[in-house]
Amino acid sequence: MSREPVLERAVRADAPLAPASPAGPGAALGSAPHPRRAAITVQGLSVSFAATGRGAEPVRVLDNVTLEVADREFVAILGPSGCGKSTLLRAMGSLLDARASTHGAATAGGSTAWMPQRDCLLPWRRAMANAMVGAIAAGVPRERAAARAARLFEDFGLAGFESAWPHQLSGGMRQRLALLRTCLSERPVLLLDEPFGALDPVTRRRMNQWLASLELADWIGEDGEEPRAVVLVTHDVDEAIALADRIVVLSGRPGRIVLEVAAQHAGAARGQRFDREQLLAALDYEG
Amino acid sequence: MTRGRLRAATIGVATVVALLAVWEVAVRVSGLPEFVLPAPSQVAVTAIDTAPLLGEHIVTTATEAVLGLALGVFIGWAMAVLIATLPTTGHVAQPMVLLSQTIPTVVLAPLMILWTGYGLASKVILVALTVFFPVLISAAAAIREVDADHADMVAGLGGTRRHQLWLVRLPASIPGALSGLRIAATYAVGAAVVSEYLAGESGLGVFIQRSRKAYAVDQIFVGIVLIAALAGLFVLAIVALRRAVTPWQTAPARV
Repeated sequence: MSREPVLERAVRADAPLAPASPAGPGAALGSAPHPRRAAITVQGLSVSFAATGRGAEPVRVLDNVTLEVADREFVAILGPSGCGKSTLLRAMGSLLDARASTHGAATAGGSTAWMPQRDCLLPWRRAMANAMVGAIAAGVPRERAAARAARLFEDFGLAGFESAWPHQLSGGMRQRLALLRTCLSERPVLLLDEPFGALDPVTRRRMNQWLASLELADWIGEDGEEPRAVVLVTHDVDEAIALADRIVVLSGRPGRIVLEVAAQHAGAARGQRFDREQLLAALDYEG
Repeated sequence: MTRGRLRAATIGVATVVALLAVWEVAVRVSGLPEFVLPAPSQVAVTAIDTAPLLGEHIVTTATEAVLGLALGVFIGWAMAVLIATLPTTGHVAQPMVLLSQTIPTVVLAPLMILWTGYGLASKVILVALTVFFPVLISAAAAIREVDADHADMVAGLGGTRRHQLWLVRLPASIPGALSGLRIAATYAVGAAVVSEYLAGESGLGVFIQRSRKAYAVDQIFVGIVLIAALAGLFVLAIVALRRAVTPWQTAPARV
């Protein structure tokens, strides 16, 4: 599958700070053979956490965020550190802490697989067994998952390391293994929280090039009726530009959407699909 | 064995030999009577003389220590897992756990003997009481260390609470329990001996008490050496067990 739907989608936020329209890009998918429901719908979501200190105000993390992720879309959520983008991602996966108080709703059209910032590999499982955790947790039959895992180890450049312990793998390999584990859950909506945030810049660039060369279908499968999509959270403009069909910029805490842009043209070189200056300006926007 | 470890072992052995030599010379030069401080050579001779008697005592103490270790490890590990799964049980257990650790074994021992008799049971319970605490603490810490993020990861992939328990909490608790066990192994023999002091028909504690009453200080030293050797043996066995059970841990992480 290619990221063709981008063609039909207009740039929806010509000026920075345009409010997010709830109609969303899903409407643009009318020409797709089987119009499907949105992969993720976030409707007026506000989240705050009870203060830890005595007499302190509750911390407001997200402020009235409305966002729709269409079927077969790759959306990057870009924002400064601490802006609530990880919280937004957790809300999409129904993984919010019990202490969080929320208004509004975040619903997923398909089941979600969430990948945390840290690789969270289990030190007592070898690489293959670690990858299988995704299948076990999601209830995917073992034989099917094992066959797919063998293929993905090849695609993810991990072939030959199936029986290595996690501590024997490099940082980049550990992250790829964590992503592989996420893919093995066969859940159609991937929620990636700064998957390469912990890596050094050189390795991260290489990982992003590799990730961009993959097609969505390679990771989450082509079949099934559920809408499928990838939501990536990052604070790195170039990572978002390299990977996404659409970029949503959040303000500093409490996070609000300050900009939403779709890729210019699918045919253009990756570097020219987004206006980097516009994204940087939106990131700097205060208030 | 690597060069570094060989060097460390050599230095360790040399130190012990040197201390024994100093002791031997000091006793001979000063002419201390052997009912005050016997020379190491005297202790060795006594050990050989009493060897036929010692077997039974060693077996008794070792049995108490091994059974107590096993019981204590199971209780400590099970409590750690239970507390991690149901935090309320932690609030219930905490005062009792603290109480059991603040009361010295010597004080608890007469009560245990009163309730469970002079036999094996009272000693096993006393050893278990000493052992379960370090196991509980280090297993609980191991679970906490791994828990939040890894359990979230499992939930984020659609896993249930049972998946979190099977995939994350239970496996995480085992290396923790084993490192608690390593610490506990050094206490276990001591706890068994103390409970034998108070009541018992056989065991190294009984042997030492009898020797004390007979002013056979050389026999007391034989007992001390045997207690240390037994504890050392337990530690070695547990280190080997850890190596077999947790092959992913690299040598420095296993200390």
